[in-house]
Amino acid sequence: MSHKRRMRAILGTFVEIAVNHPQADIVISLAFAEMQLVHDLMSFHDPNSELSMLNQNQGRRMPLSKHTHKVLMLAQEMMHKSNGLFNCMVGGALVKRKALPQHNQAQALEQGNVDDLVLDETGATLKRNALVTLDGIAKGYAVDLAIEAMQAQGALSGWVNAGGDIRVFGNISLPVQIRNEHQALGEVFQVENTALATSCVNTHYDKRFPGLIYHRQHTPQIGTWSILAHKAWLADALTKVASLANAELRASIIQSLGGKCLNSANIKI
Amino acid sequence: MSKHHFNPYWIIAITALTAPAYAQDYLNTQQAQQVLFPEAETFMPLLVKINEQQRDDIKAISGVRQRWDIQKVWKVVQKGQHIGWFVIDDVVGKHEFITYAIGLSVDGHVVGIEIMSYRETKGDQVRNSDWRNQFKQKTIKDPFKLDQDIPNISGATLSCRNLTDGVKRILALQQVALNHEP
Repeated sequence: MSHKRRMRAILGTFVEIAVNHPQADIVISLAFAEMQLVHDLMSFHDPNSELSMLNQNQGRRMPLSKHTHKVLMLAQEMMHKSNGLFNCMVGGALVKRKALPQHNQAQALEQGNVDDLVLDETGATLKRNALVTLDGIAKGYAVDLAIEAMQAQGALSGWVNAGGDIRVFGNISLPVQIRNEHQALGEVFQVENTALATSCVNTHYDKRFPGLIYHRQHTPQIGTWSILAHKAWLADALTKVASLANAELRASIIQSLGGKCLNSANIKI
Repeated sequence: MSKHHFNPYWIIAITALTAPAYAQDYLNTQQAQQVLFPEAETFMPLLVKINEQQRDDIKAISGVRQRWDIQKVWKVVQKGQHIGWFVIDDVVGKHEFITYAIGLSVDGHVVGIEIMSYRETKGDQVRNSDWRNQFKQKTIKDPFKLDQDIPNISGATLSCRNLTDGVKRILALQQVALNHEP
């Protein structure tokens, strides 16, 4: 049993897809195409993406593709359920800190809240000049789409690793290591039929790893936050929640939202 | 008031794929050619020499410095027609070079990009750790089988910005040095 592996650069990072299938190259290309679609729709960097169109048309109802609509819905639900610890309305703050590019947005609010995103059946309206950024959750969603595309083609097993957002399916055991905020690698452990995502919070900026967590009311805690969940979008979103949550409540908050904080033994170097 | 509460904690969001000091090879030259130009029957290799003036032009067009003066390029031919260019190039990843292939149409569009080899440094932990022992209890009857030697890594997201710059550079190189090839 062997897996054919390929890698492309999508969603701002390096993405490896592996599959066990007699027509592996075709199946992998289909899976990459799903991820590229998410990239094209939800990139903040691309001024012509559907997300950028939404951000540039404040107060106007914009029709959306089903994928963008779905991710915004998932993000909105997560904002509600996490009491705002997860917040995708921080595009303004990230633009101000040059973590994201300035397009044609009007003077943007640094941080909006869940009420600034109004979703209807097939579209959305933004309020108060709040800018949406979907980076991590969109990347996780793209991983989920790629996995579903491979399963739809009858693949028995495979995995996707989109810059650390990993999801594995089928009867394989994928060895994984966590890299912490000091770039050191933890012990190897196995991942089976699950998704895993990690966010590292550090005090300095590294342009090779340009992510930024911003929250007006909460300070992200320095550390490495790894979450297991059944979907990659959820695992990625919950890493942000974990980094911002009260330390004593962290594990129970993550569990109530459908994830599991990885045992520190797995992260220990 | 919000500004007082902002702490500049950069999230190094998530990571790279193979463990350090290892090269994960995805495609060899022939396989990459096949993936990017499945219909083509001939790939004619050329070693394109880039002179000083051309290097300056590439920098001016793309904003990216052409570091080497020879670039490996293949002219792609299908049914006697020149349909594009196949180029193999290197960019710096986390520390090491990442080798990738790019397919270009004759009129200067990107047909596709595939990573051929991804490399990282610092692999000692993997080699020295006894992580393989974790799999010793597993038998052939176990539903879950270990499929690869090198663990995947979950950590901060490595930016592919250097690759994006590499592609810009190759597109400029096409204008400056390839469009005049016979």
